[in-house]
Amino acid sequence: MASMRRGSAIVAAVCLLFTACSSGATPSPSSAPTTAASATASASSAASASASGPALAEICTKPPKHEGTTVTFVSYGGAYQKAQRTGWLEPYSKLTGVQFAEEEGTDYAKIKSQVQSGQVTWDIVDVGNDFGLDANADLLEPLDYTLIPKDQILDGFSGTYRVGDITYGVARAYNTDKMAGQTPTGWADFFDTQKFPGKRGLWKYATGGVFEFALMADGVGPKDLYPLDVARAIKKLDTIKSDIVWWDTGAQSQERVGSGEVAMTMIWNGRGWSAKHTDNKPVEIQWHQQILTADYFVVPKGSPNKQIAMEFIAWATCANNNAAPSNSIPYGPTNKFSKPNPSVIPDLAVSNVDDSTAYFDDEYLVKNFDDLDAKFQAWVGQ
Amino acid sequence: MRFTRLNLFRSGRRTGGPIANRWAWLALPLIAFLAIGFLVPLVVIGARSVTEFPRGGDTSLLANYQRFFAGEANVRVLINTFWIACLSTVVCLAIGYPYAYLMTIVRPRIAGLLLVAVLVPFWSSLLVRTFAWEVILRDTGIVNRTLEILGLTSAPLPLLRETHSVLLGMSQILLPLMVLPIYTIMRRIDSEYGKAAANLGATPMRAFVRVFLPLSFPGIVAGSLLVFVLALGFYITPAILGSPKNTMLSEFIVLKATTGSLDWGLASAMAVVMLGSALAVLFVASRFIRVRDVFGSLDQG
Repeated sequence: MASMRRGSAIVAAVCLLFTACSSGATPSPSSAPTTAASATASASSAASASASGPALAEICTKPPKHEGTTVTFVSYGGAYQKAQRTGWLEPYSKLTGVQFAEEEGTDYAKIKSQVQSGQVTWDIVDVGNDFGLDANADLLEPLDYTLIPKDQILDGFSGTYRVGDITYGVARAYNTDKMAGQTPTGWADFFDTQKFPGKRGLWKYATGGVFEFALMADGVGPKDLYPLDVARAIKKLDTIKSDIVWWDTGAQSQERVGSGEVAMTMIWNGRGWSAKHTDNKPVEIQWHQQILTADYFVVPKGSPNKQIAMEFIAWATCANNNAAPSNSIPYGPTNKFSKPNPSVIPDLAVSNVDDSTAYFDDEYLVKNFDDLDAKFQAWVGQ
Repeated sequence: MRFTRLNLFRSGRRTGGPIANRWAWLALPLIAFLAIGFLVPLVVIGARSVTEFPRGGDTSLLANYQRFFAGEANVRVLINTFWIACLSTVVCLAIGYPYAYLMTIVRPRIAGLLLVAVLVPFWSSLLVRTFAWEVILRDTGIVNRTLEILGLTSAPLPLLRETHSVLLGMSQILLPLMVLPIYTIMRRIDSEYGKAAANLGATPMRAFVRVFLPLSFPGIVAGSLLVFVLALGFYITPAILGSPKNTMLSEFIVLKATTGSLDWGLASAMAVVMLGSALAVLFVASRFIRVRDVFGSLDQG
């Protein structure tokens, strides 16, 4: 009894400490920049300190059993979904007897058509940062935060309908053979084709970071990006327009920087890692001025296995389970107390957070998507 | 015998005679499939374009169409879509017509080989072929590397991400659809006509221009319409081989339907605009040629 009480006192103290650090836990991404420091703190403490963090809820170690029930899990496929399978789905099946029917290829339009037609077959869907906000409220179930450890999730990475399951960085990768011995350091160098000749890769998507990076290259601080000054961003982008090679898929960005078709590219950190370690190409990633973002779990409205979906999401976002996929792919945890394997920590976006790190204001980007996209398309196709 | 009966039946229908064929019910599954798989979705998309609007937006009947035509990029992309489709048709015709002609004048065995040569690419995946072009044409690709190693160029030539690379990729995919209808028509042209023209004193060139070309015209029209209409729906090939300047409307439809606010209303309006424009082109074409005869002539043995 006594030891238990002492334990809970420590837990309470740690909780207080983190609440103090994180300056209020409002779940809006716009608050994220102010918490960059706390994210670093938690990431490094996760790396160094051994026994910190609140006690695990029962669901984290003993999730309820549902022998023979099949739940549909949908994610982006490939190595990513494989990491989620070995990290989460397979252990969860062993613990609870829940079987997972997997589909590869998250598609928001499919969620919408399932919900609209009343034929919902997807239970747990891994979606990008542009989905799961209030704009999609009529497509999604509100998450059960009596189960999910919301106060342990990085600030800004949980909302009514979604909770971050993995973090990643939108960063820069460069081909070392194309740099003539120099090392680029920030987005300003990305835009400097005099100093670093060669083509540049950017994602052909208005709200994927292209405006943000142009603004950072132009001297805007990572906390002052929103509302986006599109005119200023476009003016900056214009300076390298003829050198831009636009990519549509992550695989293209990885392949092009690896082959040297582009000298530098904007890249999702996992793709940069694969270019270097899987394809064995002369590629380096740079975290300076990265945008830290996440993939999220959502539950489509009317999911036939809503309760189990909530239990699984709670289990997978627990400190002891959340970092499991990072053992096979460099996508880090969203739980502040989760401890990734020390050998993978240098490759995780969340462990490379510093003062230069920016965060998407998802609410702003989704709300203004049509306007931003119209301006982007009007410029890019000129 | 059988063909004669079929033809009689056809001509009977054309003059408004009764359809009295007990085999007609065999077409029912196809009709049902077309109704469910094509007609219903078409109606749904048409309805959605005038009923589904983003939250808090204008909900008047034509609001989605207004939004479409208000977008500077949308109109440009629509025009570009038709422009690229036109150019692909011209390129396919320029390559396909001589090719089909060659097939008619060589020995049957070689004609067979030529046919296989045009069909083989048709059987391989569109994506594979498109990415293959990228690997060949890009700055670090085979062509540019070879030129560089031979010392012919110092900097890579801009082979990729231009309109010509889009046309290259698209025409390679669409070429069989041009060659086959033209070849079918050409084979039916009686070689005696050419001889008759020569007997009457026409030079080979003149005989070709005045006799053979007009007789092969239905094939040209059939092939061109097929290629043009299919080219309108392309978007992956222009996205991979072209620059954003070559973006086609289907890419925008996908973008609106699957990202952001899942704006199916606007995406549907785009689809309707594209379908409407394609029908308008067919309508204009039908003022000059009898579209029905063009396709009908294909299956007359």
